[in-house]
Amino acid sequence: MKSNLRSEISYDVLDLSGEIDLHHSPELRKKILGSLKNKKSLLINMEDVSYIDSSGIASLVEGFQTAKENKLSFGLLRISEPAMQVLTLTRLDKVFTLYDSIDQFQSQLQP
Amino acid sequence: MAAAEKLLEFQFPARSDHLCILREKLREVLGTCSSSEELRNCIVLAVGEACMNIIEHAYCNNDQGDIILEVEKQGNNMIFRLTDFAHRKSCEEEMVGRPLEEIRPGGLGCHIINEIMDDVQLIDCKTKYGNVLQMKKKLDI
Repeated sequence: MKSNLRSEISYDVLDLSGEIDLHHSPELRKKILGSLKNKKSLLINMEDVSYIDSSGIASLVEGFQTAKENKLSFGLLRISEPAMQVLTLTRLDKVFTLYDSIDQFQSQLQP
Repeated sequence: MAAAEKLLEFQFPARSDHLCILREKLREVLGTCSSSEELRNCIVLAVGEACMNIIEHAYCNNDQGDIILEVEKQGNNMIFRLTDFAHRKSCEEEMVGRPLEEIRPGGLGCHIINEIMDDVQLIDCKTKYGNVLQMKKKLDI
């Protein structure tokens, strides 16, 4: 798994690529929670995620819940097919907010 | 019934850093059996989830012990057998997924395995230690 955090004024974008499994999910969790700790909304770019298992999904769920508790926005950008497969199997495709573009995410952020 | 053809026997340490090697080996074998990328992805996911369960729950993340993956093809069916050498799990109830209405991290592995595979069972092995999980999946032809 590779990741890159881009910081904007009111939100961060976490670009993910590669495979996210039990070995990498602790790092993902740390990055997600670390970003949310700065009280900024978070958009996770999933376009280049080629594999994600339930441990990776658990990190996303924890991020979603933490964001909600802190009244921050949390979304997934351009979900790859393999990631969408897992979200559909676990019925989390109805829980997360999915975005096609950063502009779409930005437009719904509260001023 | 057609005889089972063994396609893979792969033994590896029950450690999370070995899961990527497992996936690579499994994809190689599945590439010769099915042209459906979606199906191959699903199978890799289910077997990966089962291995995760072994690492976390059978071996309790103590980095000791191995897992053996066997892959067989019998007619239109793929059979995946995972053997570990940890304490025996006695109840198949542990393999039932939790309710998905609860939105919380964790506990999704069993659900994913049961959703993907056509048949999942703990094989009764005669030894005192170890578990054998067998999963079957019919190939779309």
